[in-house]
Amino acid sequence: MKQVIKGNHAVAQGVRLSRVEVISAYPITPQTTIVEELSEICASGKLDAKFIKVESEHSAMAAVVGSSTAGVRSFTATSSQGLLLMHEVLHWSAGAGLPIVLANVNRAVAPGWNIWADQTDSLAQRDTGWIQFYCESNQEVLDSVIMSYRLAEQIMVPVMLTYDAFFLSHTSEIVDVPEPDEADAFLPPYVPNSKLDVDHPRAFGGLISPDLYFEGRYAVHHNTLKALDVYPQVCKEFSGAFGRDYDIVEEYETEDADVIAVTAGTITSVTRIAVNSLREKGHKVGLMKLRLFRPVPTERWRQVLGKTSKVVVIDRNLTAGLGGVFASEIQAALYAMETRPSIIPVVAGLGGRDVTPEDVEGIFNYALTHDRPTQKPLFWGLKE
Amino acid sequence: MQRTFDIPRELMTDQELLQPGVLSCQGCGASLAMKLALKGLGKRTVIVIPACCWTIIIGVYPYSALQVPVIHVPFETAAVVASGIRAAFDARGEKDVVVMAWAGDGGTFDIGLQALSGAAERNDDILYVCYDNEAYMNTGIQRSSATPLGAWTTTTPADSIKGEPKKDLEKIMLAHGVPYLATLSVAYPDDAVRKFQKARTITGTKFFHLLSPCPPGWRIDPAESIRTTRMATLAKVFPLYEVENGRVDISVQPQREITVKEYVETQGRFRQITDKMVDMLQQNVDKKWDELIEQSGKAVS
Amino acid sequence: MSMIKRSVLARQFGIKTWREFPPMNTSLGTMLHNQTGSWRYLKPIYEDKTPPCQNACPAGNDIEGWIKLLQNGDFKQAYWHLKREQPFPAMLGRVCFTFCEPACNRLELDEAVGIRELERFLGDQVPLSTPHPDLPDGNGKRLAVVGSGPAGMSAAYYGRLLGYDVHLFEALPVMGGVLRVGIPAYRLPRELVEAEFEGLKNMGIVMKPNTPVGDVEALAKLRNAFDYIFLATGVHLSMKLLVKGEDEGRGVLSGLALLKKVAQSEPVHLGKKTAIIGGGNTAIDCARTAVRMGCDVTVLYRRSEAEMPAHPEEVREAREEGVQFRFLAAPERIELNEDGFVTKLVCSEMRLGPPDESGRRRPEKKEGALFDIMTDTIVTAIGERPDFSYLKDAVPIENGILHPDENLQVHAALNGNAKIYAGGDIIDMPHTVVHAVAAGKKAVIAMDCDHKGKHISEVMESIAVGNGSALSFSKYMEWKPVNSVSQNLRKVVDSEKIVYDYFQKVPRTKREDPDADSRKRSFDVYSRTFTGDDAQKEAARCLHCGRCTECDNCLIFCPDMSVLYKGSDRFGYAFDYDYCKGCGICFTECPRHAISMVEEETPVPEEV
Repeated sequence: MKQVIKGNHAVAQGVRLSRVEVISAYPITPQTTIVEELSEICASGKLDAKFIKVESEHSAMAAVVGSSTAGVRSFTATSSQGLLLMHEVLHWSAGAGLPIVLANVNRAVAPGWNIWADQTDSLAQRDTGWIQFYCESNQEVLDSVIMSYRLAEQIMVPVMLTYDAFFLSHTSEIVDVPEPDEADAFLPPYVPNSKLDVDHPRAFGGLISPDLYFEGRYAVHHNTLKALDVYPQVCKEFSGAFGRDYDIVEEYETEDADVIAVTAGTITSVTRIAVNSLREKGHKVGLMKLRLFRPVPTERWRQVLGKTSKVVVIDRNLTAGLGGVFASEIQAALYAMETRPSIIPVVAGLGGRDVTPEDVEGIFNYALTHDRPTQKPLFWGLKE
Repeated sequence: MQRTFDIPRELMTDQELLQPGVLSCQGCGASLAMKLALKGLGKRTVIVIPACCWTIIIGVYPYSALQVPVIHVPFETAAVVASGIRAAFDARGEKDVVVMAWAGDGGTFDIGLQALSGAAERNDDILYVCYDNEAYMNTGIQRSSATPLGAWTTTTPADSIKGEPKKDLEKIMLAHGVPYLATLSVAYPDDAVRKFQKARTITGTKFFHLLSPCPPGWRIDPAESIRTTRMATLAKVFPLYEVENGRVDISVQPQREITVKEYVETQGRFRQITDKMVDMLQQNVDKKWDELIEQSGKAVS
Repeated sequence: MSMIKRSVLARQFGIKTWREFPPMNTSLGTMLHNQTGSWRYLKPIYEDKTPPCQNACPAGNDIEGWIKLLQNGDFKQAYWHLKREQPFPAMLGRVCFTFCEPACNRLELDEAVGIRELERFLGDQVPLSTPHPDLPDGNGKRLAVVGSGPAGMSAAYYGRLLGYDVHLFEALPVMGGVLRVGIPAYRLPRELVEAEFEGLKNMGIVMKPNTPVGDVEALAKLRNAFDYIFLATGVHLSMKLLVKGEDEGRGVLSGLALLKKVAQSEPVHLGKKTAIIGGGNTAIDCARTAVRMGCDVTVLYRRSEAEMPAHPEEVREAREEGVQFRFLAAPERIELNEDGFVTKLVCSEMRLGPPDESGRRRPEKKEGALFDIMTDTIVTAIGERPDFSYLKDAVPIENGILHPDENLQVHAALNGNAKIYAGGDIIDMPHTVVHAVAAGKKAVIAMDCDHKGKHISEVMESIAVGNGSALSFSKYMEWKPVNSVSQNLRKVVDSEKIVYDYFQKVPRTKREDPDADSRKRSFDVYSRTFTGDDAQKEAARCLHCGRCTECDNCLIFCPDMSVLYKGSDRFGYAFDYDYCKGCGICFTECPRHAISMVEEETPVPEEV
């Protein structure tokens, strides 16, 4: 049923439809309304879940590590500082192969305190082993919750879905909210093949010697890579059931593009407008929307970006001493290609600074007229 | 024939949920403590173990000396992982399974205090056991806030022994209003087993403070492990009592009295303790004991 | 993909490559393969030891053993177990000097266990005429025991248990020696002594009363007729005061003579006032006998009360019965009237000087300090000596006693084949019944070693109890102890080894005796025996020093689950040496020191 709802609300509905049984979360702007809404949903009985109102995000993740190891579908949500605080336990949950789903509202990291859109928080977790999705719309956010559980429980890897602070979290959009029976048909109950069980006592995650640790870690890596095959199947099924497609990447006007922009999050929507505008003016530009970030979909990226000779990557994040993360990863993924496009990394929109269609047009124009940027990366809009 | 402790023999000889081959040091109190805990709780128990000596004692992957489910967790998260497991088991309809967080003094008094406070404030239905050997023993005997005044550790070396008194965690937990708090000692095994059995029957956050001797850390002969621990209770340094819904009950009346001085003289870790510190300790011990006597049998307001 | 090394650890679970890694890094088995027993350099063993009561008893009475059986209600079994090391519980339970109780480790906690009272209780559980149930056939050898006092009775008993054909010779018409004619009936009833001899007779021991071995020729005859001889003729000669009036005075008699006459119901006259001279048990026995005969009794002793050799309990009871005591008084002369009857005793006041060879302060006469004791009768009880006239010069006598070798054998210049042994009051000073019983046991073991050709000093060493001279007959006979645990009888458990924290204070069960007034009116034995309930209650106070009682401390405290209970059909526990780390907690927390820590290479003792 179509509703006009905010991004956080969409998450809450997704959690409800996924019949999550344990939720643990700690409030942080702009995630708070997820927590509030879930509290209400649980209290009213619309969702039969235990909500542990923990005293920190580190504890929130630890709580779902517990409940997930006990074989029960679990959920948490956070943002920015909260996600950073969870870091140790993010490593833990991925290393333990727990099918937890986390919704992260992409918000800038402090200091100084900035509550607005920025993707640095989730990208700083790229080494933890979590699968990461970057969402462009509230619909995508809701659908991603349900799909993430399907994926996570099939390959036993935790999944993080992210979306921009305020642009999605607090902005209303039209969202087609599935009916419970539709969701149930797509997402069966979680049946763990290993869990804490007094009738089959085991110890989970103990002391391990150099003799075996390597193999354990390799197994985790191997499981994570399975997403590259399993996720497209999940997508296909979802598409068949709900008529909505969320491929690993989405191509827009890429076939004959001279420049393809790579974006993640709401900048994608803005870029679509810019592409349309420039195409009208006769420029051949295109867009690759980056949805799945981990595991690195090397083959798909090469396949799409290999169609052009210039790629401009717009990073709404900054790692001091490196630059934008997406640009860095794409460069690495494309490195081994025999012919590879040149890459113009652009950093823009940090801390919620608006990136308008005009900004993106300007970026495209720069890319069309330059082979490489005057500085690497190009800090679009930096007040110098 | 006279048996010393009121523990039925079948409890000791029927199923051993802790099997031998453990990696604990000779004379380890933590090993004995776990044995007694499982005698009291039985097999429908899940144990949450953060970083602590028991991470090692249990054995190396892929082996576990425990015949109950165990989850190893990050250092500071024992209490909250237990809360999560509790929520899951309730969701599964297995409300009779006891979820026990089993943490050392490091993971309780210091790094784990926040999570413990959170769980206690929410009154999550878990049993939290702090087996206290009074220092970060697993990492090689560094001081914790549970280390007593005057003790040597590697981070309070001989020229700078611990100058702060032991943190009164019992008072802190009582301030959370937990429905059941108890102190336990491996030197009084029947009292310990009884309290574990009782824990099964109480809903809400149960907090156990268990004194667990560490021969290498306390600088005692392993053979003296239990005797030294018993002396802690006889000296009233570690009185055994329980508080159920605010009502204080002293569990063991020392049948002979020894001074704090006699107690510290048994352990190498107190070799540098000053007379002034001993006096302070004796005063604090006497004060706390008097408080307990006064409160026992009455509800604490 | 690079070479993946196999893990030795996980091979048993089929983890060869990363593919077999179980989900979530879960465990697959126990740690039982890790045999932590290899960490040890000392190991514990269950080893029963000797409690201090048994160590203090000259006969090595296995007190803890029969107390354990008594505690369980097995009175008859306890009785026969007691008789293994001390054959006369009914008698010793009434008159023993009781070396055991002052040594009892329970003294540190509250009061000693009432061992003698318990022994007395057991002594009354089986009719004394009952012969030993397990009598062997004759071994073809004959043993002559000369003297039917406690040493002789003991030798006869043990001799018969070893299969000897025993003949028990006694000069007097009644059997029993000092037990029958020395100790008064109010302490040891005649019927009881007679019943003991019934029992010995029913064992097949041949009684020979009225048969003195009066001279060397008689002894030589014995030597030809028997294979072994045990001399136990006791002390029956009183020492004389050596004062004027002693020999000719009417109303002067020795203490031994008084007691002997009273014991055999022969007439003896004591005047209204009777003075007893001496400070030992004989003097007190005489004093309390005289009180029962209606006399006004004063005991005179040349030293002070603290130096009296008499049993303090006896002295107290004597006082309660009205006996007067005068200390630091020594007789000077006896004054007689014209008919030769005693009128008074003139004494010197004494004072205590420096100690003499016995360690006690030497009494010295105060010059010119004389005083009179008005009295009709004077009884001398200043010491006794054996009568060796029957031996003449055949055997060397020194300081008034025989000096056999360390195995109680006497080397005599006499005709005949039999080897001669000796024991009891004729060989040493302690003059207690239990020493005599111990000597009888030891001599018989020595002669049995001789008979069987065993190496006697090795045997004696192997059956030694504690750190004294007591011997274990049970060990000699290879009888099983009460606990099926190996024993090291040489090790004595003193109070430092007992963990008193594991015991509660319990007051000693009191015996309700009649008051002094009722007691002194008759020769009936006045002290009462425990009831069965009181006996079990008192027996439950025993700490069982050095002997396992299956208290479960080791089972409970082992941090490595390496103590295994053997099960209700066997006794005690076993260590799981595969895992025991040798920490020593079991050793320290055993309340009664029944575990020993030994070098790792020491073989574990076999189950008994």
